[in-house]
Amino acid sequence: MATILAVDDSASMRQMVTFTLKGAGYEVVEASDGQEALEKAKGQQFNLVISDVNMPVMDGITLIKELRALEEYKFTPMLMLTTESGDDKKTQGKTAGATGWIVKPFNPDQLLATIKKVLD
Amino acid sequence: MGDKAINSFEVEAKELLAIMEDSLLQLENNPGDSDLINAIFRSAHTIKGTGGVFGFDNIVEFTHVVENVLDKVRSGDVDVDSELIALLLSCTDQMSVLVQIAVDGDEELDDSVRENGESLHAQLNGYMDGTDSASLSKEIVDSIATAEDIMVADHWHISIRYDKEVLQNGMDPISFLRYLDRLGEIISVTILHDDLPDLADTNAELCYLGYEVNFYGEVDKAQIESVFEFVVEMCHLHITPPKEKIDMYIEMLDQLPDEEMKLGEILVATGAVTQHELDDALREQSELNEDVIQEKLGEVLVKEHIVHQETVDAALEKQAQVAERIKSQNRVLRVDAEKLDKLINLVGELVIAGASSNLLAHHLGDERLLESMSTMARLVEEIRDSALYLRMVQIGETFNRFQRVVRDVSKELGKNIKLEINGAETELDKTVVEKIGDPLMHLVRNSMDHGIESAEERKAAGKPEQGILKLNAYHDSGSIVIEVIDDGRGLSREKILDKAREKGISFDENISDHDVYRMIFEAGLSTAKEVTNLSGRGVGMDVVKRNIEALRGNVDVTSEIGKGTTVSIRLPLTLAIIDGFLVGVGESSYVIPLDLIHECIELNQEEQKEVATQSYINLRGEVLPFLRLREFFKDNAKEKSRENIVVVQFGNQKAGFVVDELLGEFQTVIKPMSKILQKLQGISGATILGSGDVAVILDVPTLVQRATHLADPSHKVGKAGDDAPVLH
Repeated sequence: MATILAVDDSASMRQMVTFTLKGAGYEVVEASDGQEALEKAKGQQFNLVISDVNMPVMDGITLIKELRALEEYKFTPMLMLTTESGDDKKTQGKTAGATGWIVKPFNPDQLLATIKKVLD
Repeated sequence: MGDKAINSFEVEAKELLAIMEDSLLQLENNPGDSDLINAIFRSAHTIKGTGGVFGFDNIVEFTHVVENVLDKVRSGDVDVDSELIALLLSCTDQMSVLVQIAVDGDEELDDSVRENGESLHAQLNGYMDGTDSASLSKEIVDSIATAEDIMVADHWHISIRYDKEVLQNGMDPISFLRYLDRLGEIISVTILHDDLPDLADTNAELCYLGYEVNFYGEVDKAQIESVFEFVVEMCHLHITPPKEKIDMYIEMLDQLPDEEMKLGEILVATGAVTQHELDDALREQSELNEDVIQEKLGEVLVKEHIVHQETVDAALEKQAQVAERIKSQNRVLRVDAEKLDKLINLVGELVIAGASSNLLAHHLGDERLLESMSTMARLVEEIRDSALYLRMVQIGETFNRFQRVVRDVSKELGKNIKLEINGAETELDKTVVEKIGDPLMHLVRNSMDHGIESAEERKAAGKPEQGILKLNAYHDSGSIVIEVIDDGRGLSREKILDKAREKGISFDENISDHDVYRMIFEAGLSTAKEVTNLSGRGVGMDVVKRNIEALRGNVDVTSEIGKGTTVSIRLPLTLAIIDGFLVGVGESSYVIPLDLIHECIELNQEEQKEVATQSYINLRGEVLPFLRLREFFKDNAKEKSRENIVVVQFGNQKAGFVVDELLGEFQTVIKPMSKILQKLQGISGATILGSGDVAVILDVPTLVQRATHLADPSHKVGKAGDDAPVLH
């Protein structure tokens, strides 16, 4: 089963994501900022990364950029959690190498549906 | 549901039914006209739709089957012939009955209505090849909503060409397809690998493949596009809707609000094109702009296989319709007739009040006041004219109703008759229009029944087999003239006179042809040998005459044996306020409608003596019969030393009225005479002068006739004592 790295500085958001994904049968590893996520990603291969954009220490855009630069994450789907549906952030994420995005607030079904778009 | 809403449903439904009927009649002559077929279909469709909203199941149930047949006609599966037209016309009638029943709030249908509906359904189902025939049950009504979004058997075609770099951002072409499969069913995937280089040159990190997907699912285009949301910038995506979707898009087009929209907006609103596709197409279009010929958006979309040509055509048609409707909405405003009547009443009072102020101002002789009064008077006159103009409607609608009558009646009589309408745009007062319908009906039926001969008879007479009935309308000196003209056998002098003798009506043997013809308007005179159910009972023509005279109009007839008959109705344009000419006789004042006045002549004393014993004068070589109003109205006031003759013209007859004084133009608000006075001859109404006095409005047609009769000693039609102009 696929293993997903969920990155968000809000504990409740992480919990919600983790709860939903585990419920759907995914393995989930949490990280509370970009830096922590980057460390964890280097230690273990994830099939999908879901990351918030605005976080302390290292933001989501930077995280995606750093991950894409790694050989192991060249083809890994990465989704951004963004509050804005505006194209600005999406373009920024796209340029950094994000695969797609999920606009907050979202419900568990939307989250799972979006994941299924990019993950077998 | 509010009464107002039901009211507007009624108005709309009746309008649509009228359109349906009209279009059906036109369709009979142009069986292939798809515009007409579409108009008929849309009318039925809208009636069914709005009926459904109101819960009028009877209408929905009946119209649904009509619509099914119309759909077959639209698709060309059923050919238009006169049998089908007749059936559909009967259906229109049934729908109109159902609408009335629904509007009246009756839940249950009469047996006769129900049976008629069932028999029509049975006939309609003859046109359906069994597929939908058993479908008149209640279930249909309930299932219409679902039937409209039934699944389509055809497939969506999705063509995807990924960019080579697509894999690098974590996008997996396969995962999108898998996701798509969740929305419906992927029927087939063709992988295009033309771009795949030799193995040695292949970069494993690049995507060289393209996909052609056949997909089946109950989704709309936007849903499919959203599957590829993340990858849309890294691929060329074309989603072609199933052929069957065209109908759905066209149906949705019908439901769009009537707003002015651009083609792209319309297509996006129906779901035929997604916003993204539109943006792309617009971009492409503007890029192409550098070429000399700019492609139209529709052409670009069709070329890119984003939509079918049919959808674009339908959308363009909708766009044109909306533009037309908005234009006509701007032109037409529905106003309650009562509100208009109130306004006109008030304007009438204003005119009277204005006249009284004017009189006062003259009395005071203050020049500045007089000047201001004359400005006021001019404005009041303009307001009066515009207010009356509000009531004017075109006679065309009334005329068009006769298309159906002529069609039905000629079928019934087994005659071939064509109706020609001229001057449909002629305007006249709404009240007059409403009241002219019945008399016209009589005249039209009469002409068809008695006037126009059977095809054999016509052939024998060397005339074309098809008889022509014409309805003409035109304005003529303050009146509107409506003519019913047939090219039939014409009136027979002998037959009319025989009949008159039989009825014991006395007449002079030398009576002119014209006067003979006019006798058909006498009660009890009908020359038809046998009574048909249309006419010939001898009631009708006299009623026609009475109805028209009640509208202050008159009716005349001319005829030529073998060539045809013309009945002309002459009516005043309005019934409320007229421009009058005020004359004085003795102590009284009389008003003559200004439009009818030809000229005024002063009589000097010599001439006065000369004409004293005669009832006509020589007016520039013409014989002019005249009438002394003083004598006619038995006014015993002292005679004035000077007299004037007012020459009036009605139709082609001229006559003079001898009066004492010419008092000038006067805006006349017509007040109807009370019941007791209604039978007074020579008077058509009364009005109130500025001073508060009452002036009598002269009934010019009657008086002209009277003057002519008096001047012609050979004339003795009618009862004796004709020259006693008093109460009857």
